Amino acid sequence: MKNIFLFFLFSIILSGWTVTTYAQSEDDLIEICGMIAQDATFLKDFTIRLDAGDPPPIQRFSVILKKGIKYRFSVCNSNDYEGRVILQLFDNNRLLATTYVVASGKDYPSIDYDCSKTGAYHLFFNFKEGKPGLAVGLLSLVETM
Amino acid sequence: MYRNVILLIATVLLATSCRFFDSNRNLSKEDFDIPEGLLDEKPLEVASEVIDDMIQNVSSPVEMAAIIKGLKIPFNRDYIANTKDMNNLNTSFQKAVGLGIYGADLGYINMYERTSLVINHITTIKSLADGIQVGQFFDFNSLSRIATNRENIDSLLLISQQSFNRIDSYLRETNRAHLSVVIIAGVWIEGLYIASRVAEDAKHPRIDETIGEQKVIMSSLMLLLNNYKGDPNVAKLISDFEEIQALYKDVRITYEYGEPIPVEKDGVLTFKQNDTQTIIMSDETLNNIIKKVQSVRNKLLIG
Repeated sequence: MKNIFLFFLFSIILSGWTVTTYAQSEDDLIEICGMIAQDATFLKDFTIRLDAGDPPPIQRFSVILKKGIKYRFSVCNSNDYEGRVILQLFDNNRLLATTYVVASGKDYPSIDYDCSKTGAYHLFFNFKEGKPGLAVGLLSLVETM
Repeated sequence: MYRNVILLIATVLLATSCRFFDSNRNLSKEDFDIPEGLLDEKPLEVASEVIDDMIQNVSSPVEMAAIIKGLKIPFNRDYIANTKDMNNLNTSFQKAVGLGIYGADLGYINMYERTSLVINHITTIKSLADGIQVGQFFDFNSLSRIATNRENIDSLLLISQQSFNRIDSYLRETNRAHLSVVIIAGVWIEGLYIASRVAEDAKHPRIDETIGEQKVIMSSLMLLLNNYKGDPNVAKLISDFEEIQALYKDVRITYEYGEPIPVEKDGVLTFKQNDTQTIIMSDETLNNIIKKVQSVRNKLLIG
């Protein structure tokens, strides 16, 4: 009987506390991302949640960027998943900016973009090596040029 | 004995599985792969994911204000809507338009750190938001506290922007995306209205260009609005906006494309876009657009 009680207690601890103590919510990620973006003015957040896949699945968003503005794109990964997010900025079919530079193998938690043309742009998010992941992307305004 | 143990294990497993799905985040229909056809009645001309995609940042109240401030053009109280005009806005449609207009003004006020004007505007916005049952997403208390105590202005911008983003998301989740699009239209026309007033007073070529380049943004906005043209109020708004769009036909925009240049300085990677846009627009066309924008915006505030 004592064993059953212990088993029951252990199961409750395992089922309840582990989930609530360590899970990072999207709001937590937005807050962390805001710190990464530093003093830039918040404009928009994007939540990226993707399963594992080969080729890596992509989540896409469109934004309108305006000429004469320096934008900042910041990304923040959830520690609850393996995936490390990569952001790529496209204009139709041209890659204009990315948080992961293949040549140097360097990852940047935030990048700035000096916009010289008002129009629609596309944000592509995927997780490195197609691992599952949860991340938040933040678009903010740094300054006008 | 074994039966009891098995029963207990089964109960615990059931409880843990339910607990897993009942974690901190709220599940919504986006978490499941539900075919669009199975969802409630919605306009079907453009799929909701496409709308969702298009709606992102079509018009931000902050960017236009940032451009104007960046040109060292002083704040002018006459450019923003009088909060007394809120009394003219009675229907959900009118309140949504008003929410957009006063929201854009709030962006302009915040950008210039005119905290003394904030309280009046956020009171108006809260009232309009309550009128379309989204007041709970407008963080009136925090905004009021920050404005009253003249606390961190960045927080004022952040909370205002987040409040509007949450209102937008909630309206789309509750199948009232038409109101979300109407708010966006309100933000857009007010931003353009302020630019038009600045253009008259400051005569700055960058402001003229900003007005001209709205042709690009207007195309996306009209696509969004046309998805809800079945609503008579939206149809009327489209008809008013079409008058502006007709004037934009005389605006020509050309582009020259160049490769973006990445520059890393102090650990910050900046991509410098090398495209060039040229706006070709006569003074007459600019003046016609300015007059029409001001007339449409003023009409919207009459209700």
